[in-house]
Amino acid sequence: MTLESLRRDIDRIDARILSLLDERLEKGLLTRRHKSGSLDSGREAEVLGRVSARSRCLADEAFTTGLYRRIMDESKAIQDRRLSLIGFQGMHGAYGEAAARAWAPEAATMPFGEFSQVFDAVLAGDVDYGIVPVENTLGGVVGQVNSILVTTELRVAGAVDMAVSHCLLAPPGADHRELRTVYSHGQALSQCRRFIERNGLEGVDWFDTAGAARMIAEERPKGAAAIASRFAAELYGLEIIKDGIQDSPNNRTRFFVLAKEARQATNGPADGDHGRAGDDGRAGDHGKAGDHGRAGDDGRAGDKCSAVFFADDKAGALFAVLEVFAEAGINLTRIESVPTEPGDYAIFIDFAGSDRDEAVIKALDRAGGLSRGFRLLGCYAERRL
Amino acid sequence: MKDLKLTGVRPDGARTVVEVGGIRIGDGFTVIAGPCAVESEDQLLRTAVAIKEAGATMLRGGAFKPRTSPYAFQGLGLKGLKILDKARRETGLPIVTEVIDTRDVSWVGEYADVLQIGARNMQNFSLLREAGKSGRPILLKRGMYSTLEEWLNCAEYILAEGNPDVILCERGIRSFETYTRNTLDLSIVPSVKATSHLPIIVDPSHGTGVLGLIEPMSLAAVAAGADGLEIEVHIDPPTALSDKAQQLSPEAFKRLMRKIATMRRTMDELAAEDGR
Repeated sequence: MTLESLRRDIDRIDARILSLLDERLEKGLLTRRHKSGSLDSGREAEVLGRVSARSRCLADEAFTTGLYRRIMDESKAIQDRRLSLIGFQGMHGAYGEAAARAWAPEAATMPFGEFSQVFDAVLAGDVDYGIVPVENTLGGVVGQVNSILVTTELRVAGAVDMAVSHCLLAPPGADHRELRTVYSHGQALSQCRRFIERNGLEGVDWFDTAGAARMIAEERPKGAAAIASRFAAELYGLEIIKDGIQDSPNNRTRFFVLAKEARQATNGPADGDHGRAGDDGRAGDHGKAGDHGRAGDDGRAGDKCSAVFFADDKAGALFAVLEVFAEAGINLTRIESVPTEPGDYAIFIDFAGSDRDEAVIKALDRAGGLSRGFRLLGCYAERRL
Repeated sequence: MKDLKLTGVRPDGARTVVEVGGIRIGDGFTVIAGPCAVESEDQLLRTAVAIKEAGATMLRGGAFKPRTSPYAFQGLGLKGLKILDKARRETGLPIVTEVIDTRDVSWVGEYADVLQIGARNMQNFSLLREAGKSGRPILLKRGMYSTLEEWLNCAEYILAEGNPDVILCERGIRSFETYTRNTLDLSIVPSVKATSHLPIIVDPSHGTGVLGLIEPMSLAAVAAGADGLEIEVHIDPPTALSDKAQQLSPEAFKRLMRKIATMRRTMDELAAEDGR
């Protein structure tokens, strides 16, 4: 054991401690639905009791309980800030989280393992919003998300259309000439295939782009780099060897921001906040969340709408619905079909306009009569990054 | 000269034109300018804007410096490449930068439009082979002890790897003269035209190493029929970390550019007279 190798181990442990600390504070934020204020003295005594019971620690008891008091104070202080919470799929540093931060810079972002968990958390009120990718210019429609969208009760409260710029990341001080392997999600690896080949690297499939960045930061394997977002580089303290390494410059992902009610579009922000506050009994808790919603659309009702419906299995059924929009002069910006049952398809449409426009209201009414299960997912402002 | 299968004159007399970011080297006249070394973002960006205003079409700047002494400033490396990349985004000027290590060739190629192989590395054959595989145009400087035939054979190494885009650059050779840093061999320009189809440019900064000789030698290079010039320009020459004595100020470079334009018109008139 050299001093250098011991210090490397210590650096790795520190990186893990910081990640775990963040995770602990996040769990604290998620408890808000289940309690009426940030302080729960019974629970605090229980945690401190457990900490002091572990007396065989190298650290002395006064130190560990003091440390835990500080941690719990910080946790309460963060809970009292009444941040709005946005769920995303993946680990910290994921592209979805970058989109969430752009949409609401003040909000706290909460990681979930699966897309369905993001939907469930919004529905249960654990988080205020969920952000999910719906389509990518290179990869096409995100199937898992769109099949949940067919049936979800959630509304679309916003959208973010974001350029995906992959970066090659290495631990600070690493020599780029020594890089041999590059870890990332299979899709990111394939989007950077030519770059990887040109530089004689070997791609290694990893479950997640941000997860690869985190692993590189925590494990520091020799000669290894990750492909992930610029945001992941900042989060994990990695150096960007090169940004924009994707083979195609037209790599964009479109995200939907989901909420329980499309408040700003239909109910108005005040109603929305009130309804939400009732969920956990803390009136006015989510004033900030409402602000984000409004900030997202500059106080307007939005400029884009999304809807889903089923077309009857007969000649011209789909055409009849689309014709309504054509006749009303409404610009359809996306049409996507998602198979639900054998032979049955849910049709997603996006169009320019707001459900406060007379033409849109009439068209929605007519389209509803010509299809099965016509549902407006939301009218919102779409932000392009 | 034998065995110049790929670099020798073509039977139909066609000459190579290297296209880089909308610029055609070997068709018209190209002026590459910029500092000897990338020293800081501020230094490079200000120099880049100044040389663009003066009419230069490409930006040079060293990130990896092959210095005579191992203790002299060795360049900013990867950080320097990122600064060059930023200068390109801000000015639109394509970037020329030197590569000195075979392991760096692909990485420099990620940032630069043209890779320069310096005089000291002209016969570094493994570097030439890597450069040939890089997919980027190569600016090949003449080694300070090289004959025309040796130089063209080095170009042949690059072309043999499947890279047709080589620009030759005369930068002076060693002679018994010590007043100048090197002896700028302008007779090589028409000699290259007679023996190869590759474009040739002239570097009067290294070729003379004397500030006062850069202008007359630049004009002489135009007269000799060069396809372009590579000139060292620093935003503030007295503070330069390398090649202090031979870097022009932006003002001096601007004056030189005006004289080059006049010289080119004169040469065009002479060519027109020949044609009559």
